[in-house]
Amino acid sequence: MTQQGSSVSTREKIRTYLQHQWAHRRWLYSHWELFLQQPLGRLGLIMIFIFGLMALSHPILMETVWNRTQFDPSIGFDITIMPHPTTPTWRHLLGTDNFGRDVLSRLLASTQTSFLVGIVAAVIAVTISTLIGGAAGYFGGVVDAILMGISDVFVLLPAPIVLLIFGLLLRLEWPMVAIAYGVVTGLGGQAIVVKSHTLKLKVKPFIEAAQAAGGSEGHVIRKHILPGLLSLTIVHAVFTVVGAVLTESLLSYFGRTQYYLSWGTMIWIGQQTFRWFTLKGQWHVILPPALAIMLFCSAFYLVGRALDEVLNPRLRVR
Amino acid sequence: MLRFIIRRMVRAFVTLILFQSLLFALIHALPYDFTAFTLQGPSWRAFMQRQLGLDLPLWTQYLRWLSRFLRFDLGVSFQNWPAPVSAILFNRISRTLLLFLSAAILAYLLGIWLGKVIAWRRGGWLEFGVTLGGVAAYTSFAPWLGFVMINIFGWYLRWLPYQRLVNPNVWFNAPVMIDTLLTQMFITSVIGFVTFLLVRHISQRIKNYRGRWITQAFGLVIIGMGIGIWWSRSGLSYLAIDILAHLTLPLATVVLLSFGETMMIMRTAMLETKHDDYVLTARAKGLPDAVIRDRHVARNAILPVITRLALNLPFILVGSLVIERVFMWQATGEVIFSAIEYQDIPVLLGILSIVGILALAAHILLDVLYTYLDPRVRYLGMD
Repeated sequence: MTQQGSSVSTREKIRTYLQHQWAHRRWLYSHWELFLQQPLGRLGLIMIFIFGLMALSHPILMETVWNRTQFDPSIGFDITIMPHPTTPTWRHLLGTDNFGRDVLSRLLASTQTSFLVGIVAAVIAVTISTLIGGAAGYFGGVVDAILMGISDVFVLLPAPIVLLIFGLLLRLEWPMVAIAYGVVTGLGGQAIVVKSHTLKLKVKPFIEAAQAAGGSEGHVIRKHILPGLLSLTIVHAVFTVVGAVLTESLLSYFGRTQYYLSWGTMIWIGQQTFRWFTLKGQWHVILPPALAIMLFCSAFYLVGRALDEVLNPRLRVR
Repeated sequence: MLRFIIRRMVRAFVTLILFQSLLFALIHALPYDFTAFTLQGPSWRAFMQRQLGLDLPLWTQYLRWLSRFLRFDLGVSFQNWPAPVSAILFNRISRTLLLFLSAAILAYLLGIWLGKVIAWRRGGWLEFGVTLGGVAAYTSFAPWLGFVMINIFGWYLRWLPYQRLVNPNVWFNAPVMIDTLLTQMFITSVIGFVTFLLVRHISQRIKNYRGRWITQAFGLVIIGMGIGIWWSRSGLSYLAIDILAHLTLPLATVVLLSFGETMMIMRTAMLETKHDDYVLTARAKGLPDAVIRDRHVARNAILPVITRLALNLPFILVGSLVIERVFMWQATGEVIFSAIEYQDIPVLLGILSIVGILALAAHILLDVLYTYLDPRVRYLGMD
């Protein structure tokens, strides 16, 4: 190829650049429009937004409205009220638990944990699955055999039981739960799905065209393979959040992770002194975290479903 | 086909060996000595280490672990000392299977039916309602859902028993053991199911749509009556009814928890196949809407659903943890829990091994089933 840089004017360069940018913008904008057309997707997005506000509001409330000695989520104690699991009042909007801590404050603080667990697990799972599955699908041969051998092993591992075994011997913190879940799901099922998707993508005509036009391997991977995998990646990420939060809640519900705030731990502690069938004393301790888990996971599931509807061309409304 | 199956089996065997190696690495990566917490003196601890083979070099331990696994020896439980792990798990697995296999089949049928309906009426209020309900049930926290079911149907309305496998008052002086009866019930249900499939297969030959329907319903009634008469003649029906009554609430909870996923997958698959050419052809032929939905779209859309079912089935041992805990259903979940409480590592590893073996078997079965369900699928080594 001859040197052409001098013959293209700067204005021409800027115009091409802007057109490129606009194409991206248009892509994003049209998909955003399609997403917003779905009521369930909007509902999920609103719910995630509310949960985000809840997570953000906790430190602000602790600084401004709430007294730290009474409303701290782990060591607070309200000395002005006497018998301690108290039902909701104006002072404690969701009541207090049997250790005298404010339930609302614990609920809001635990929302942060859930977001962190979900996002860390999703990022790890998606990164691993895209790298492993993409490499196995694109390069094939020995790489494929080795990487898919690893995937075939990891798909047999149930994450909750592995974490329960780890929890016997180690002190489980939330990053560990998130990382373990992300690695097991990313290396397992997701990598296999990404690989089969890459195989389908690899035989498309535009990849061949890019290669014929002299595109290097790095160029093809960066500009064609990875963007092609993006839609699958986003959907996987959202569904990983659901699984990670449910797994984390399960572990903490069984009392394996008592060192950080979490919705499962709230239910677990509430049950220690719970009159199991009458719901009389402590419904306000159990109900909010259980509903929060359900709504949080439903919100992400609905958003994932709506994204799937937008990004999967065969699902679009025709 | 045979060559393909053999190749697949060899690959699965290698995967299984790798899986066992992974478990070995997992358990040896943890900073833990099983004998560290013994209350006896150091000489006893050395004796225990020698007994368990912990004083050997690591590669010898690894080879011993593999060779024992290949002989289906999953080790000896710490908690109930001389009992082998495989016997402990094998005793309990029929209870788990009765609950979770039937729940999986029910949830699968319900999910397929609902997914079919909501995919066909896309965008209506029905779809929103069913989707919201299914997603909420699927993502609800399992112990909480079980707790709600217990409170409503068991405690407040008092319709159904909600605790344990059986009522001890009914089972006082009963002539059989619970597990024997459970196995009999399990075999009965399998026989009934297979007979129904046979009837359905035969009825496919009847050309008349209504005649086919009537034959199937008649066959179902006959099978039900046969099972009822058989059980009432055996004199154990009151015990079976007691178990069924205790089964209902956990079954309903598991079905509620798991039908949502099947429903969503079925809906997606239906929408993907809805615009294929053969559906257009069927429409052009003037076939009724229900026939197009059930026979042309749903049958082609069922592949991903079956995939998911086969891949998820082995993990019912994991799901059993929660539900069995909440309903005090004394089965595999209870074994896992007591193993966790007493740090009984061999039992936990045994469960992981069994889940792995079942999952691999499911994968092979799925690959073979694919060639039957979708004749377009061809594998390397098939003619």
